[in-house]
Amino acid sequence: MVIGSMNDAIIMLAAICFPILFGAVILLMPEFSSRNRLLGAVGTGLLVTGILALLTLGSGEAGICLFSLGEKLEIFFRLDNLGRIFIVIVTIIWILAGFYSFEYMKHEKEEKRYFGFYLMTFGVLLALDLAGNIVTYYLFYEMMTLLSVPLVLHSKTREALMGGLKYLFYSLCGAYMVLMGLFFLNRYATTLTFTAGGTLNGELTAGNEKVLLVVVFFMILGFGVKAGMFPMHAWLPTAHPVAPAPASSVLSGLIVKAGVLGVIRTVYFLFGESFIRGTWVQTAWMTLSLITVFMGSMLAYREKIMKKRLAYSTVSQLSYILFGLALLQGEAMTGALLHVVFHAFIKSALFLSAGAIIYKTGRTNVDDMTGIGKEMPVTIWCYTFASLALIGIPPASGFISKWYLAEGALSSGTGIFTWLGPVVLLVSALLTAGYLLPITIKGFLPGADFDYGSLQKREPNLWMVIPLIVLALLSVVLGIFPNPLTEYIRTIVSTVL
Amino acid sequence: MLETNFLVNYGEEVAILLFGIGFANLLVQKNLIKKIIGLNIMDTAVYLFLAEKGYITGRAAPIVVSGVQEVEAYINPIPSGLVLTGIVVSVSVTALMLSLTVRLYQRYHTLDLDEISVQLRKEGL
Amino acid sequence: MDFIQNVPFFSIMISMFSGIVSSILSEKWAKRLNTAVILAVGVMSGALLIWLCRTGCGSYIFMMGHFPAPWGNEIRAGVLEAGMAMFFSIVMLLSMTGGRKKLFDEVEYSKHNIYYILVDMMLSSLLALIYTNDLFTAYVFVEINTIAACGLIMIRQNGRTIEAAVRYMIMSLLGSGLLLMGICMLYDLTGHLLMSNIQQAMADIMANGTYRIPMLVTVGIMTIGLAIKSALFPCHAWLPDAYGYATVSSAAMLSSLVSKGYIFLLIKIFYRVIGLDIIYSSHIIGILFIFGLCGMLFGSFSAIGEKDIRRMIAFSSVAQIGYIYMGFGLGTQEGMVASVYHILVHAATKSLLFISAIGLTEVSGGSRSFFALNGSGYRNRIAGVGFAVGSLSMVGIPSFSGFVSKLLFAKAAIINPTWKMFPTVIVLAISTILNAIYFLKTVIRIYTPESALVEEEKGYYGIRWNQQRLYTVTIILFVILNLILGMNSQPVIHLIETGLANFA
Repeated sequence: MVIGSMNDAIIMLAAICFPILFGAVILLMPEFSSRNRLLGAVGTGLLVTGILALLTLGSGEAGICLFSLGEKLEIFFRLDNLGRIFIVIVTIIWILAGFYSFEYMKHEKEEKRYFGFYLMTFGVLLALDLAGNIVTYYLFYEMMTLLSVPLVLHSKTREALMGGLKYLFYSLCGAYMVLMGLFFLNRYATTLTFTAGGTLNGELTAGNEKVLLVVVFFMILGFGVKAGMFPMHAWLPTAHPVAPAPASSVLSGLIVKAGVLGVIRTVYFLFGESFIRGTWVQTAWMTLSLITVFMGSMLAYREKIMKKRLAYSTVSQLSYILFGLALLQGEAMTGALLHVVFHAFIKSALFLSAGAIIYKTGRTNVDDMTGIGKEMPVTIWCYTFASLALIGIPPASGFISKWYLAEGALSSGTGIFTWLGPVVLLVSALLTAGYLLPITIKGFLPGADFDYGSLQKREPNLWMVIPLIVLALLSVVLGIFPNPLTEYIRTIVSTVL
Repeated sequence: MLETNFLVNYGEEVAILLFGIGFANLLVQKNLIKKIIGLNIMDTAVYLFLAEKGYITGRAAPIVVSGVQEVEAYINPIPSGLVLTGIVVSVSVTALMLSLTVRLYQRYHTLDLDEISVQLRKEGL
Repeated sequence: MDFIQNVPFFSIMISMFSGIVSSILSEKWAKRLNTAVILAVGVMSGALLIWLCRTGCGSYIFMMGHFPAPWGNEIRAGVLEAGMAMFFSIVMLLSMTGGRKKLFDEVEYSKHNIYYILVDMMLSSLLALIYTNDLFTAYVFVEINTIAACGLIMIRQNGRTIEAAVRYMIMSLLGSGLLLMGICMLYDLTGHLLMSNIQQAMADIMANGTYRIPMLVTVGIMTIGLAIKSALFPCHAWLPDAYGYATVSSAAMLSSLVSKGYIFLLIKIFYRVIGLDIIYSSHIIGILFIFGLCGMLFGSFSAIGEKDIRRMIAFSSVAQIGYIYMGFGLGTQEGMVASVYHILVHAATKSLLFISAIGLTEVSGGSRSFFALNGSGYRNRIAGVGFAVGSLSMVGIPSFSGFVSKLLFAKAAIINPTWKMFPTVIVLAISTILNAIYFLKTVIRIYTPESALVEEEKGYYGIRWNQQRLYTVTIILFVILNLILGMNSQPVIHLIETGLANFA
């Protein structure tokens, strides 16, 4: 069953299926053992997928229902404005991090497996963004978990193995909370298709609100696992750092966003914001996300291993987004969606620069990075720009999103949270500065007793530097010219609020 | 009424008691042979129950000897048929159990199932 | 009467006679006869199913002999029975072909035709359990089934399997003893052995209020008996040994068919003998519900602690049986549909898991230990794929079969909110997570490459698909069966619903 033009539907399916099948072919065919051939194939695969993904953006109101798992349980894809934003960031970052991997993965073994799964996960993420109902979303959400586990496990060290298993089990726990919600929705919603404003069946719901509130809370918690929300955040700082750097950058930049997208879809497109406004669910959700914001920043501040520090930072930043969504207020939601975009670029840039440092110097501890700016100036400059953006120093991008978040909180009318929210955000921003900037400062200003004699230029080659520069530039430039994006996001927000 | 029923149906009561004894033996005895004896007591109890139910005082087996009489003169032959079928089944099951027991005894020289398990674990099987 | 209505009778008879004939045939011909019979039964049941659907005839009664209803013996066939017979023969055929190689390794050659006799007997008793409308016939075939299953367990003839067979026999005999006692008491109370006739008498007794308690005790005894035989939670002690050590075809058939035969009989007793209203208003259903939930948790916990892959899969069966009884326990039509669907799902998935696990252990030096399996998914690729698919289905990933049955269970629990709703949904979620822990742990392990050095030292070897064509085809067919159940569930559910509607 196809809605809209057939061509659009075919492009959509192609964008999803091509990378998944192509990845599978790479995994299965022994021909790709030679490195040149592998990289050629992967490069083509990434670019073709990218083009297909961007082509889908142009399509109008298109949808396709593939087949049905059971009554009401169709596998259904449809493109909407929210999906478009996610598709764009996924495509840009995935391709850039993919090219970065070409160089980075030289010092890791078994590139074939890495690239195979990398491509497959790309397709699954596109499918998530295009998913038109919660069943499809759940299916690809599980697939995303399963296919990204090999990326985490990649180095096969004991640490990576434990990290991977932890990732898997936390994610599955979260997924089953979602599944529980799906069971209930199947009964109480008129349709499982995402519809702005919610699909609850009023007659059936009447009298069962209490149960359904528990259910929606579980669903938020379940998707919150992926987004690293307290109390299920512990997997993130273990699992993200053990993956190869480009994989951690997409894990931290994009895959966690699948949790955010899930929350948006659940709250705004299935239950409807009016259903939870002013209930204990909203309060609990705001509380949990604020706790996470603060706790993530504190833990990041205390952490010495650079990639772990960045992972904790992800925990904290993702909860900015969740807090913005929890306020159920237009400005705050705009801020949250902006932060989704900005954080994706910024965090990928940060992880990629951490990867460049590891690749060239092997240093992982923050304290060992004295003078690093003299050795790899371009990398550290990119790192610095991204950091400034994340802290929210105007005019870099983070400032814009945080501004909207704070403004939204102040006018949300949620009691204590109207002022507590902005305060926590501010404190956390200071902490962010506290944990990100020392690397820049020590890197460029190593102090008087630094041994300049042993310095050597260790800038990585263009495969790694160009993606880094592009991402760092994007994180700054989007802050300087935020208006088109903001306007676009406002159209999304206006449909659901 | 309860008392009259209770006194009249003593055969069935004995059958149920025997069934319980057999069941308990099959369940808790350690010795395999005793278990098999329990099994037989259990099955026999069921046959007793069926036979008791099938017999009605003053009626004859449904075999036509001196012309067909009215229906009330005969007992229902089906319970007896069930007993026969049941005996066939229980004989075959008992035979199977005994043959298994013989095998186990030849290998492990004991009839105690738990002890056999211990020996098996030692063998590392 | 259409000729095709003879199918149930024919299928029982040809499978039984092929068993008898096989005793004088050589191994090779016994094997061929066995395969042909299973195929024939499958095809005939399929034809019957199509005929039943096309004529819209819900179910019909087939007289065995010349006596009409209250005296004679009957067979009753409907959509669900025919579908179940077809499904059982498919699974049985695949289990036989998948385990054939292992059978040659593990069982003395001279015993092979005995093995085929037992399989034929088991098929005929399963078919009889599916089709019969007479309780005492059902009892006799339950015993035949037990004896055949016991033979299938002990055919390997090492100490472990004989011990497992003895334990299996003891528990089974306890169960069938209770069943027999229950049937006799029921006969005593109602005066009938045919299921439909009992139900009328039963309804009268319940309506009059006489013998109410003896009736419930009787029903309880029968239910417990069948629950023991199908390894419901507290009575499952025999299961891991029996499934874990028997030769793989036996294990696959035991877990996916034998226990399901008893459960199917229990469903028939609920619907046709006792009547749904009576059983749903009694406490029996609540007890089944609670034991089902306990089984779901306990089975999964035991499986997590298990280091032997075969025993792990066996313990997972305990959990899955728990699911099925939990579905009964919900006490609704939807719950029953979910349970029947889960019978299909579990049969298709569990036999796939057993068959593929054996392929994995084979290339790991024959060691069944979990730790030896490193990288076995690369050494025997098709087995690895099979195991992964089976695991994903058990874990409940959408588009595999397990997801649909879980969804049906949850839907059944939610659609009529009672006190059972939250326990069901919560235990379902916990049990699924536990499933995920042990199955995905294994999947990750079989895809964690072992260094070439270790592989050489331990004498591991890879095996390619053209060295095991039959096995490969089996696994592929199993995977397809799984995907069909997972992606195309609606027609099957519809069949089950019409079948159950015609059941009473």
